[in-house]
Amino acid sequence: MKNILYFTISLLIISFLYAGQKRDMMIPDMLIKLIDGEQARLSSLLEDGPILVEFWATWCAPCKKEMIFLEEFHKKYSETGFRVLAISTDSPKSMSKVKSYIRAKKYSFLVGLDPNQEVAKKMNAMLMPTVVLIDSDRKVSWYHQGFVPGDEKEIEAQILKLLDLDHTKKSEK
Amino acid sequence: MKRIILFITISSIYAQMSFTGNTETRIGESSSGYYYNETLINTNLQYGAFTNWIQLEYSDPPELGRSINGVRKLRLEYDNGPIQLKLGDLYEIWGRGLVLNSVDDQSIDRDTAIRGLTLIYNIDSFSSQFIAGKADISQSTINALGFNNRKHNYQVSHNLYGLNIQKLFGNHNLGFSFLQGLEKHPVNTFPSDTIDIKNQLHSLNYSYMSSLFDYYVEYIMSRSYEFEEETWKSHDNGKGMYGNLNLYFNLFSLNLEYINYRYATIDPISRFNIVDYYGHNQPYQNPPVAVYIHENILMNRISHQTDFNNEVGYKAELIGSFSENIEFLSIFSQSNRTHSWAMDENYMWKKDQKLPSFPSFNPVATPFKEFYTELTFHTLQNNLFIKLGYADMKDIVDLLQNTITDTSQSLTYSISSAKTVPLNLSYSFGNGWSIESKIELQWLKKGYRWYEEKNNQIIADSLMSIFLDDDGKRLDQEKNTFISFTVSKSPKWSLTLTSDKTSVKESFLENNSVVNPLEKFLGINQEKNWVNVEFVYHLTSTMRFSLLYGSLKGGLLCANGVCRIIEPFDDGFKVGLSTIF
Repeated sequence: MKNILYFTISLLIISFLYAGQKRDMMIPDMLIKLIDGEQARLSSLLEDGPILVEFWATWCAPCKKEMIFLEEFHKKYSETGFRVLAISTDSPKSMSKVKSYIRAKKYSFLVGLDPNQEVAKKMNAMLMPTVVLIDSDRKVSWYHQGFVPGDEKEIEAQILKLLDLDHTKKSEK
Repeated sequence: MKRIILFITISSIYAQMSFTGNTETRIGESSSGYYYNETLINTNLQYGAFTNWIQLEYSDPPELGRSINGVRKLRLEYDNGPIQLKLGDLYEIWGRGLVLNSVDDQSIDRDTAIRGLTLIYNIDSFSSQFIAGKADISQSTINALGFNNRKHNYQVSHNLYGLNIQKLFGNHNLGFSFLQGLEKHPVNTFPSDTIDIKNQLHSLNYSYMSSLFDYYVEYIMSRSYEFEEETWKSHDNGKGMYGNLNLYFNLFSLNLEYINYRYATIDPISRFNIVDYYGHNQPYQNPPVAVYIHENILMNRISHQTDFNNEVGYKAELIGSFSENIEFLSIFSQSNRTHSWAMDENYMWKKDQKLPSFPSFNPVATPFKEFYTELTFHTLQNNLFIKLGYADMKDIVDLLQNTITDTSQSLTYSISSAKTVPLNLSYSFGNGWSIESKIELQWLKKGYRWYEEKNNQIIADSLMSIFLDDDGKRLDQEKNTFISFTVSKSPKWSLTLTSDKTSVKESFLENNSVVNPLEKFLGINQEKNWVNVEFVYHLTSTMRFSLLYGSLKGGLLCANGVCRIIEPFDDGFKVGLSTIF
């Protein structure tokens, strides 16, 4: 019991120190199943520019609130090559609803399926919604867990910051 | 020299290696002695085409399940274009999960991982997957010794192998699956013993996709054999079917689902007895259900428990928009068992009649039905959000007696019905500040219905409610109220006050709970109220801290048609920390 407590306290301290460190987090070039039945590598989705990945489910209310704003950003910054990829973690029990939900809402962003949460685990998405902003080199630029109204402002600021960096990188090349 | 070579090798591997991970720590202690302390650490290592996932757990005890100190899960993957190889703990889904859907749902402590290997070959329009391994699956059952709300008391070991093949022809997809499991099934004998069972599952699936509609159909056959007298003897056969049709219109989408599972027809009292009844639905199958998964708390608490061995049902969902700012959703779902049941003269259950393949609401087939509708408004540049819903649910939970003679019928069953109104409001002030409120009202009826008929004359037709007031007087219904109010300052913190209240005292045991300062301040009767306050703070964008103080109502927690009783949390603290590194 004492050992567990010491371990937990040590872990909290290490996590606190480590989570604050800025370092490159590279996402594996995994295969993502898309809603239209196709499969795509993450690297191919990043060919035109950075992407924002949102992990969501049809039963997650904050995820759906966040998606309204993500659609707005997807449309607003699509000319720069930026895209939104909303990955549904719905299990087979609610998987059939994903496409009808997206179609009914007329969302134009990319939608992926991850019913056994393999992609979510590889991208360290433990809570829903989790937003992961990934640059063209598959490096994580920003993470955000949960959604409360007002978070959309921070999300947009981070997208702009990444697009600016991406633009600078492209001009240097 | 050797050390230098080793150092250079390790350094060069490390330089090309990518390492990420996350941690999740949860600690809780209540005044009633409920305590847990658990930490999960997930690490993801990538080196070229190889990835490695390790999940470590340190718990003493965990919130649910048994204590583990060390490696909980481990998987090594090789992904090189068309070939993918995975070794370790596998969570795989074939089609819609009729044959294989191994899950790790920690909210109800359900883990059906297969520890073994899988080989996936995927080119253009063809994919195949071979799987082989062992699944040690734990479950909770009152039919085995040592039933406990927090720890599973029954474990079955399955040695599995199988193959799944899918072929795409334009917009059409055709698939075939086969899975065999050799099961060591523990039985209630003294000394303890196991029976050898062989379960075989064969399935065919077909799907079609277009811009106007798509559909998916799967048919499954199950066969089980028992090893007796040095040979495999046929034990039982079953079958199942799942169909899904989605229609897309300009303003709305219609989603229709149909289930028909007939793996075994077990009498109403024994249908959830997984110890004495075997060779039917397997725990590594997790097929779709006719139940709708709700976003609100009170509806999920009275969710229908699916009989995966024997259920026929459908679900129809209509979703769409009236305008850019107003959306609607309507669902109707219904299911029942495939046969009606009656008792013979010795009060033994017998299958009475085979019912149609489309569900009805005949109480002798333990039916369930639900209607839910909601309207969502978002306006003022998406700053104001309002969602109002209405749900009406009726569930025949258990059939207790049904004796039929030529001139009479005596029927008793337990019933649960509820009307629920959930409301969700949120407003964002535009400067990072926002407020949100969730209000759920529920009128719940639970009781025993007794119906008796003789010579076409109704002799008795009464419903005895299980709810009693403080003086022991019977009440028709219970009123449940769930209210939460949140203030947040994006993107840093949020503070939520939650009240979960019932109109009826649910436990008649002596109340030893302590009135905490929060309840005292709010002037709350602790026997019928569970109040808590939670503070969430984002220390960094990758670090989230939460602190909860107060009480939480326990009870039935259902996830995907599977339910588990969760203990209440009485006057205590819960601390959570999640980090990504």
